[in-house]
Parts: sequence; C-alpha cells; structure tokens
Amino acid sequence: MTYPVARDLAAGPRYRLEALEAFYDSFRAASIDFAVFLPDSLLDGLEQLILERGEIECFQCAREDEGVAMAMGAYLVGRRPLVMMEGSGIGLSALILARGIVQRTPTLLVASHSNTLGECFDYHAATRVVAEPVLRALNIPYYVLFDPTQIRTVVIEAQRTVEGQKVPVAILVPPHVIRAA
Amino acid sequence: MNRIDVLDILCDLRQDAALIISPGLSNYTIAAHGDLPLTIYNMDMPYATPIALGAALGWPARRIVSVEGDGSLLAGPSVLATIARYRPYNLIVLVFDNGAYLTTGSGRAPTATAWGADIEQLGRAFGLKQCCTVREIGDAREALVRAFQKPGPWLIVAKVDPTDRQARQSAQLPVDVFESGLRFRRTVLAQRALEQDQGSRSRS
Repeated sequence: MTYPVARDLAAGPRYRLEALEAFYDSFRAASIDFAVFLPDSLLDGLEQLILERGEIECFQCAREDEGVAMAMGAYLVGRRPLVMMEGSGIGLSALILARGIVQRTPTLLVASHSNTLGECFDYHAATRVVAEPVLRALNIPYYVLFDPTQIRTVVIEAQRTVEGQKVPVAILVPPHVIRAA
Repeated sequence: MNRIDVLDILCDLRQDAALIISPGLSNYTIAAHGDLPLTIYNMDMPYATPIALGAALGWPARRIVSVEGDGSLLAGPSVLATIARYRPYNLIVLVFDNGAYLTTGSGRAPTATAWGADIEQLGRAFGLKQCCTVREIGDAREALVRAFQKPGPWLIVAKVDPTDRQARQSAQLPVDVFESGLRFRRTVLAQRALEQDQGSRSRS
C-alpha cells in the first residue's frame, strides 16, 4: 500500500515531514520493533510512514486498550513495543496500563490531543481532558513534547525509562509539533 | 461437558505453548496441572486475548493460547476483528461458554450467551474462518488436537456446564502478578536466544 499522506499533501492534513522523520528515526534508534495504533488525525502521517517503511512491524487495533494489551503481549515475548493513539485512548486504557505496571510489562505510548495548547475543536474537549489525569493517577511518567527539536532525545530517553524501570511511559504530542501551519 | 475435562486435554497438548488465562476457575485447574513459566494467570478482563494476540504476532515461532470465558470475551469482542485481519497462524482462542458469570458472587448472573449470543458466529462475522463450537468431550479433544497441529488462528467455543464451581480448587496461584510478567519475559528471552543460537549453528 502506498503512503498517501506524506507524498500527497493535498490528500489530507499537512504534516511537518521533518517531525515525522525525526519520530521515525528516533523509534529506530530506540530499537522499537513492534508498533500498534488506532488511527487518529494528528499521528496518521507517522503511522502511515511506519507502515510504508516496513522496518517496524505495525498493526492496527480496534480499540486503544486492545492495542495497549497487544503491545504488552509483544513485550512479554521479547519485543520493544510502541502504541500510538489519541489522548482519549489513554483514558480508555487505564485498567490495562495499571496491569502493565503491576505485572512489570511496559510499553511506550505516543498520544495526541492531550491537555496541551493548540486544540481548536470543542468536540475534542473530553479527549483532551482525560489523558493526563489518568497518567498522573497511575503515576506513569509522561512528557509533553512542545519542542520538535527534542523529539529524538525524548523518544530515546522515554524508551530507556520503559526498559530500565519496566513502566509504561507516555509522550504527549501537541498539534504544532507534527502538523504544518 | 465440564471445563476441567477440557482443560485436562489442553494441558496434555500444551507442551511449550504460552497460555494467557482470563479471570476464573480455569487458572486453578491449569496451575494444578503444573506451573509453567510461559503462563500469565488471571489476566484482567477483557485482555487475555489481546495480550495473546500481541504475543502471537511478536513470536510467530511459538504457539500462543488464550483461555477465555464467555463473559470476558464479550467484554472486548473487537479483538476478534483484529485477529481476523492479521490471521496469526500460531494463535488459539479457547472460550469456555457456560452462559454465566460463574465465579462472580452467586455465579447465577447469566451472560449474553444464555440469551442467544453465539460466540462462534461472532467470530465468523468478524472474518475468522476456523471457528467451531464443541459440546462433547470427544469433539473438544478433536478440535484442540487440530488446533495444535494445523495453522490458525483458531476460535474454539467449548460449551460447558457450571458444575466445576463446586469442584473449585485452591484459590492460591503459584506466582503473583508481579512475578509472572518478569518470569514470562525472562523465559522467552532465554528460549529465543537458544533458538537463535541453534539457528546460527545449523546455518554454519
């Protein structure tokens, strides 16, 4: 399947291609080898890029909590997983994330539409409200990635924390980081 | 047909397969057969099958079995669509369908299957091809043997009676949740390293 978003900017939202590449290169540098996602508008370009390149095994789930569980299953069998989703998906995933903490079965999370600046749609209000309180409640380390120049450092250090502390770690991505103005 | 009888067959066939078990009485029966490190007990509902799916996709060389209940699977049936999409040939989903939330309270609260919901048909509607419902122990054995011998994914719905509630074994499991994830992954890493070593030796 071709990758319509990066190659054909008229086909959908416009993305900062350098940011997509920075995320992708960082995932590779962090040895991420298994990705799960539920499509969302902001991260779609990144998800499609991973699918197109084919170097990181990538699967689409039907619900975010299912995707987190799939990633945990991959971690159990020796993989280094990543889950990409909207912030609302973190709200949906509270129980399985809690299980991952207790069971020492972590995954890296990258989520959009969190409680950061730049959300212009009222109908995303619940989406943006839920993610950070759930992360705080579960004591999951997270970082709001405001500065695109930090992508590589944040991804690599987040994955280092996942592996060293065996806890889920979330990177929250505001729209301006990945979407072109 | 009784769940314990079916689990006896599963444990006899299991060999080195990994098991992810949803909450319920199956955990104690399987543990009583012998605690193997590639086992996650009492995975929170409804995540046994999604965890098993991720494990199956992540380790195609090893058979992965999800031991489900009807209540647990019906809490997250969308995973069947994801299984149908990616068709991991090493995945077996075994669903015990007794039509009740048997381990909950009085055990008398019915699940939707008591009112006609059909998990096999649900799997087919999601796109799974190898689905069956078994009601007799001979049929259950035949289905499980086939699932362990031939490429999947398999969805086996075992219609069982609720009599094993009375035969409930020890409420103690051999490992705590905290240990089980560490033990599982360490075992996998050791086995995969061994597989890799054997693979490189056979190539040289």
